[in-house]
Amino acid sequence: MPRQPSPDFSTSVKLKYVKLGYQYLVNHFLTLLLIPMIATTALELFRRGPEEISTLYDSIEFDVLHITFSVFVIIFVLIVYFMSRPRPVYLVDYACFKPSPSCRVPFATFMEHTSMICEDPKSVQFQTRILERSGLGEETCLPPANHYIPPNPTMEAARAEAQLVIFSAIDDLIKKTGLQPKHIDILVVNCSLFSPTPSLSAMIVNKYKLRSNIKSFNLSGMGCSAGLLSIDLARDLLQVHPGSNALVISTEIITPNFYKGNRRDMLLPNCLFRMGAAAVLLSNRRRDASRAKYRLLHLVRTHKGADDRAYRCVYQEEDSDGHCGISLSKDLMAIAGDALKSNITTIGPLVLPMSEQLLFFFTLVGRKLIKPNLRPYIPDFKQAFEHFCIHAGGRAVIDELQKSLQLSAEHVEASRMTLHRFGNTSSSSLWYELNYIESKGRMRRGNRVWQIGFGSGFKCNSAVWKCLRTVKTPVDGPWEECADRYPVDIPEIVKL
Amino acid sequence: MTVSVQMKRIRVTGKSTVAAAVPVQPGKTHEFTALDHAMSRHTVHLVIYYRQAPTLTLPKLKESLSDVLSYYPAMTGRLVKNEGDGCGEWIVKCNDAGMRMVDARIDVTLDEFLASASDDEEKQLAYLEDVESDPYLWSPFCIQFTQFKDGSMAVGISCTHMHADPTTVGVFAKAWSDCHRRALITGPPFFHQWAFCPRKNPVPSSPHLSVKSTSSPPLPSPAMSSATFIFSASSVTQCLADMSLPDISPFDVLASLLWLRISSYKNGDLGPAQLNVALDCRRRMAAPLPSGFYGNALHFFGVKADLASGWGHVASELSRHMTGLEEDDVWSSVEWLHERRKEKAFQMYGPELTCLAWDNVPLYNTEFDAGVAPVHVTCRIGNVQGEGLVVVMAGPPGEGEHARTVMVTLPTDLTAKICHDEVILKYKPKIMFGSNI
Repeated sequence: MPRQPSPDFSTSVKLKYVKLGYQYLVNHFLTLLLIPMIATTALELFRRGPEEISTLYDSIEFDVLHITFSVFVIIFVLIVYFMSRPRPVYLVDYACFKPSPSCRVPFATFMEHTSMICEDPKSVQFQTRILERSGLGEETCLPPANHYIPPNPTMEAARAEAQLVIFSAIDDLIKKTGLQPKHIDILVVNCSLFSPTPSLSAMIVNKYKLRSNIKSFNLSGMGCSAGLLSIDLARDLLQVHPGSNALVISTEIITPNFYKGNRRDMLLPNCLFRMGAAAVLLSNRRRDASRAKYRLLHLVRTHKGADDRAYRCVYQEEDSDGHCGISLSKDLMAIAGDALKSNITTIGPLVLPMSEQLLFFFTLVGRKLIKPNLRPYIPDFKQAFEHFCIHAGGRAVIDELQKSLQLSAEHVEASRMTLHRFGNTSSSSLWYELNYIESKGRMRRGNRVWQIGFGSGFKCNSAVWKCLRTVKTPVDGPWEECADRYPVDIPEIVKL
Repeated sequence: MTVSVQMKRIRVTGKSTVAAAVPVQPGKTHEFTALDHAMSRHTVHLVIYYRQAPTLTLPKLKESLSDVLSYYPAMTGRLVKNEGDGCGEWIVKCNDAGMRMVDARIDVTLDEFLASASDDEEKQLAYLEDVESDPYLWSPFCIQFTQFKDGSMAVGISCTHMHADPTTVGVFAKAWSDCHRRALITGPPFFHQWAFCPRKNPVPSSPHLSVKSTSSPPLPSPAMSSATFIFSASSVTQCLADMSLPDISPFDVLASLLWLRISSYKNGDLGPAQLNVALDCRRRMAAPLPSGFYGNALHFFGVKADLASGWGHVASELSRHMTGLEEDDVWSSVEWLHERRKEKAFQMYGPELTCLAWDNVPLYNTEFDAGVAPVHVTCRIGNVQGEGLVVVMAGPPGEGEHARTVMVTLPTDLTAKICHDEVILKYKPKIMFGSNI
């Protein structure tokens, strides 16, 4: 028995070094190729000697026409190259809404209210079970209207919540970046479940007195992945408009969406959704490059709505009693996994190092031609990214992704801790997670971040950011006071 | 105005729960002392009235309430039976469930209300939830915010007497106001359930309480109603002058006056009688309890006097008993209660006439706005049966040091008679919240 581990250990160590060697070889192939070229050139130069080199130099005829033509060709190629490059999109800074502790909903309060509002004891029991296993903590917050017994979802209360979360986030962003509201060129707001007239973007234009020629957009109904959709829209607009900046607001308004019925598949949002908002400032101005935090490298959107099952997976409808709610189907995890596979198939070639891509390619060829039973190679995304922000949709989502992408506990820590501290804040959760990583002092210059969002439709969207400057702690934001207390150990089941 | 129209003036607009700002450490509990258990039949309702102010808005008050509740985990907990080494007694499981909050509106201004409200209406300003099915879902504390038409606010704090006595509720309100002004909390809560544990050599004996435990209120209990008398400093000085006895406190003179007048309507001819007096004994112990002591610290004792001998005699008897209270008596009483704590609690306020000496507790320093004292403070005790209750509290600010507010809760017809009693009216008290104003 004691002898057995050592051959395994030495084999695994050998394998590890082999793998490292392979990765280094493939990823730095061109650099490695340069070394023999330099060596050969240097040898040649030494062999020829200085007098021969000077005679060679004198023998070249410098014709004015030749020189002018070469210079023009070089300039032309450079211009074409710079013009055809997409405009870089910089993330100058972002701010997340920090809820006041008086909006806190401890487990005991939630269960008490549920018992008082729900007539069906089975629903109460079901919600208790969900809450116990949810991975949420005792500090998540609901808007003031949802603290009432029963909740009071008036339009006024929903607008009040929208104003509270959005204006708070924008005020923080203005303080951080010195942004002048009159200088905002593009405004994109996404809020899936609350869409009043005039829109939330109009509400922002009114409050901050934005310019009359602002390009404002309000995206509603697009689910929890809408945060990255808004970034995509802003990016496309920034390609068309030079020297502009864009303010992107991601939020979800909880007030109008309390489900009053008893259908189990519709009770989950009541238990998991919490208040949150994020305001992000994007820019394509060159002068912002020096003060920006991140640069957007890639953004990949995958829509599985063509498949009926995926389309009906997250569906808002009325139950048999006429109560409106959002039903989550049982195969949500499977569909999410499918959507993720599609997404990483597209993003893989863009971000993975050549070593992983080759391995994947060879395994694919092997599976198709030689041996169909060969296990598909899951590329190691840990080599492409230093940080991962997985949408904190629920504990199951994070567990599933951790398993399928083979991530360690530290990689998913940001997602788990955000779920614990803030709950599922829908489209803004990715920004809370990013803020967590910054608050723990882990974000360094050159680090790449992968944000993955899932949402109704069924959509899976990914964004890849590169950090442009090391973020120093302490970081202003929602994690300011509690980052020291995290990470916490989240039990599998909390006894209520 | 008929009663039914008056009742409709107050509209409850919503019920919610306020959670503390800081989560409670899991596993915390708060146990009750013998004194707490003894008071379990009663409830406390404190209503504080404030004029309109920019800092006195509902969202700001909720936020400061949330902040101050972080210091009072026992208030946001729920009652459970102690299955452990206890004997199935109630304890508070500090599960962070929060305090119930009720929002209400009233369509008159504060001044109109204070001038015209009846006792029934005033009762509606301090809501306490009924235990419906599961005590674990029932909030023992409740705050009611009633907004008047002119923006003034009435803050009603209610709780079961088992959790806290009127002084504790008053100290909590003061701490809340300190928190609201972002000032240092002057009387931070002191949770010390061993404060009233029996001494090493207990001498359990309380003849007064033994008698009370065996007596029962008259059946059927008559309907009770209340009225408030505000005696200005000059009135009280006048009373003291009429008394012309040395070392008599305003409490003695007013309590004895009311005792005499109430008894005269009841019996007709006066004779030896006993008054059940409740006194806050936090500061009376040799090792005084901190002002922030959380829980019950009321000592009940009997004062015997011959009412036929006149006001002076009654007042001096009362004074003698009040000043001569021995700490041993308090301890004996506590030990007696500790011995019988497994038995059912009995009526403490009643059945005989009870008087709560509460004028040593400052009430009008609960300033939510710096320098702005409350306009009025009411203290009611719930489930007072039998002959009634007289509460003597500190007077409103600006009326002078000797001013006192006296609230009487008596059988309805007796309250009406007392409101029109010439002897009392001689001292020109301002009468509020009477039953037929």
